[in-house]
Amino acid sequence: MSIIDLMSMAKPNLASRERILAKLRGRDLVNCFQCIKCTSGCTALKLLELKPHEIEKLVNLGFVDELSSSDIIWTCVTCLKCVQRCPQKASPYHVIIALRNLAVEREAKVPEEFMKAVSRVLETGLAETFQDVVSRKMETFNRKSLKLPMVYAPKESFQTVFLKALEER
Amino acid sequence: MKAAMFWGCRILTSQYAYEISAREVLARLGVEIVDLSEAICCGDPVRSVNDFAATFLGTRVLALANATGLYDLIVPCNRCHFVISEAKRLVESDADTKQQVIGLLKEEGLEYNARIKIWHVIDLLHDSVGLGTIKKAVAKPLKGLRLASHVGCQILRYSDLGRVDDAENPKKLDDLIATLGAESIDYNEKLDCCGSHLTYSHVDSALSLAGSKLKAVQALGVDGLVVSCPDCGMMFDTKQKDAAGTVGARLGLPVVYYTQLLGLALDVDQQKLGLHLNQSPVEQLLSKV
Repeated sequence: MSIIDLMSMAKPNLASRERILAKLRGRDLVNCFQCIKCTSGCTALKLLELKPHEIEKLVNLGFVDELSSSDIIWTCVTCLKCVQRCPQKASPYHVIIALRNLAVEREAKVPEEFMKAVSRVLETGLAETFQDVVSRKMETFNRKSLKLPMVYAPKESFQTVFLKALEER
Repeated sequence: MKAAMFWGCRILTSQYAYEISAREVLARLGVEIVDLSEAICCGDPVRSVNDFAATFLGTRVLALANATGLYDLIVPCNRCHFVISEAKRLVESDADTKQQVIGLLKEEGLEYNARIKIWHVIDLLHDSVGLGTIKKAVAKPLKGLRLASHVGCQILRYSDLGRVDDAENPKKLDDLIATLGAESIDYNEKLDCCGSHLTYSHVDSALSLAGSKLKAVQALGVDGLVVSCPDCGMMFDTKQKDAAGTVGARLGLPVVYYTQLLGLALDVDQQKLGLHLNQSPVEQLLSKV
């Protein structure tokens, strides 16, 4: 389904649009004049059909509810070329992050790995788990066998404070 | 120079070759590093879920750096470098965010300090240690090696934030390679992304991005690809075989971290550079050194 199809049956919701603008802490997004520099250089365009200029337009028109429940916002590679090249400071990357956050708030479908990463941070402080690696000669190594320094987890107070941070919107 | 070091998650949990080689070469070039007291996430994957929580984590890293008493912080991961830099800018430009973040940090007895400068290994070596010092330290010039550089995305863009090198025509990594006596070639796909962020949601597309770039670089007939970010290292080195499958190519391109390459030129023992851990066929490159 093309992202434009999202609009066919939908009605704009300007309150949701304001939520996104509030998250962006600025109204530069409304200055987007559809020059399509973002989409021309988008890493995810060829593979996953992400068209950042359409996202910009849809948010400006108020189709935020449709976007925040669409898979398309999870196709961004975060290469930041669109931020760099946008002549209007209407950064599609930051708009996509705001839409993702809204999707989480509204309990829309979110790729599981993101939620798992947050829960690992909460439990251990790190978003990844320590891995044993196998060398080209099939020997297994870990931090200890490589004589790398001990790594210390955050103090207990971290969990409480990080939970508070996660409650902020 | 003495600096605090924030490794991030990826290096500490799997990209050990980057950590081993960075510790070794930085020490040899007179950079004394002090690890932060705790290992935590910079906020990168958290950002897609809750931007404020990511800003909190990024600022928490700066507060842990502040606790070392040092004013320079090295962040060798591109993604961490970006998230922490943006967190710092937001806290400094938005009074409400600053108040909220500082309040949370205070609950843990941590203190934010705006004075801390954030370095990546690339600008630290290029701008602070200096090409001259590196050149003098080279014991075994890498003459005859033809290499392609991959700087990655997030230390280059976006320029308004203050990044490590020029966004559209980065040169520092190439200069650093040339200083070792090797040749760093220019190529069309230089700014193409490794795709690592997509491993969270679209694994095959992520691998396909990495595979396409590897295929293009291999076609240049170079001796290897040089990276300086653990995510790029993961995609191009660790996952090279998986990436090859998605683009239907036979890939056998040596991929090394710049810190490993530098170590070779400083004549450091290969084990001390973690070269036994690379998954790509680095022997091809090593045989020419």
